[in-house]
Amino acid sequence: MDVERSAWAWSLAGIVALLVMHFLLRPLLVQLPVAPNLLIGALLLATLRLRSGHAAALGFGLGILEASMALEGMGSYALALTAVGYLGARSRDLLFADARFYVVAYLFVGTWLAEIVLLLLGTTSPGPVRLVAGSGLDALLTAALCGGLEALTASLAARQV
Amino acid sequence: MRYLTVGRPESQRRDLLIAVGLAFLSLFIAGMSPDSRLAITRVVRSTVLAPFLGAHRVFARSAELSDLVAQLEMERERLAVEVLQSANLELENRQLRIIAGLPDRRAADFAVGEITAGAPETGVSHTFLFRTRSGIEPLTPAGISTPQGLLGVLRTTDGGSGLGEFWTHPDFRVGVRTPDGSTTGILRAYSPEAGETLMLLDGIPFQTNLAAGTLLETSGEGGVHPPGVPVGHVVREEDSRSGWSHSYLVAPVVRPGQARIGLVWLVRSLLESDPGEGTVDRDDPARDDSPTGTAPAGPGD
Repeated sequence: MDVERSAWAWSLAGIVALLVMHFLLRPLLVQLPVAPNLLIGALLLATLRLRSGHAAALGFGLGILEASMALEGMGSYALALTAVGYLGARSRDLLFADARFYVVAYLFVGTWLAEIVLLLLGTTSPGPVRLVAGSGLDALLTAALCGGLEALTASLAARQV
Repeated sequence: MRYLTVGRPESQRRDLLIAVGLAFLSLFIAGMSPDSRLAITRVVRSTVLAPFLGAHRVFARSAELSDLVAQLEMERERLAVEVLQSANLELENRQLRIIAGLPDRRAADFAVGEITAGAPETGVSHTFLFRTRSGIEPLTPAGISTPQGLLGVLRTTDGGSGLGEFWTHPDFRVGVRTPDGSTTGILRAYSPEAGETLMLLDGIPFQTNLAAGTLLETSGEGGVHPPGVPVGHVVREEDSRSGWSHSYLVAPVVRPGQARIGLVWLVRSLLESDPGEGTVDRDDPARDDSPTGTAPAGPGD
């Protein structure tokens, strides 16, 4: 098995694990004042390896799932995550250097911006503190967790090869 | 580690087209009727999300089982006392109606169902999924309450389940009155700068004063909610427009997070059984249930 294929397989396993954890732990995570957004984290990790069109489609599907779980904002969730998927993949194409720091920074900035958009599209007015600081902390946790997972899957793939 | 790099120009155009198409599809979904969105939600929740929702139910039930049993025991005891206390009430009511020449008292008709609150990433949920155990499909919009008081309104139904909004929803309105009927007004959700969402009673005439603690119940006007359902207690005066009207802050009787079982008012049965009595305007497309007619008699009559 070559390095690329092995890395992709491990990364896919990590993304699926993140999504399963997100939907399984969602009732708990939404009650916490600060929590990692595993859905956006998984989507951003997927955009690292998908074409922008495919990343947009994945974002759209995840948006429908998330809205069905939340019971509100079906169109806005789908629209926001489609944009996250597409723009995430495009910005990776334009900006990315293959270094771990950039992955973490990419996850942090991507999650922060996506959370702000989702908060503004929601039915509950978030307030400036939640909008900026709360989503920033969420993004920090997401970047740490998903960046760590990305590093772990990469090292597992390298060890396997 | 290497990630994908920029593709060929024609592939980029194709990717852009896919993204734009999906964005338009998202906007189309956002503009769809609640019925259509409910259909999508039901399909997704009964297929892809079914294992997760099942796991959530198992976790929630096991975490709350002991509390639930204790609560049910308390409720059963309280109901037993109430049944004993009202043993002669029905007979007395029938006799008084005969003396007054009134027709038989109509019992209000409700369907019991399970309430699943939405779980947005931030804030509290304003919407819920309602599933009747009997498979009855209520005429919407229809008021939903718990045995304690008003919970919200069912907006749309399909095959025994439906989507509804808690009273905390920004679009929710309900006509209320004091128990003696001396004061009426319209309640809506109100979010102060900090703290929990409360209710605001608007448009009370300036010369009318409501004491703190006064109970407000549904007036039944508009035909969405049955009359006499407790809604909240007056906390204090919130705002005053000098010489014209004032508004009051109201603490709700039921908070959305407390309810797992709801009672939806089956106004259809009243309309079908006695169409001549009570004028109910059910065709008003407005999302609120501000007064549009005289409600049929309900449990409070």
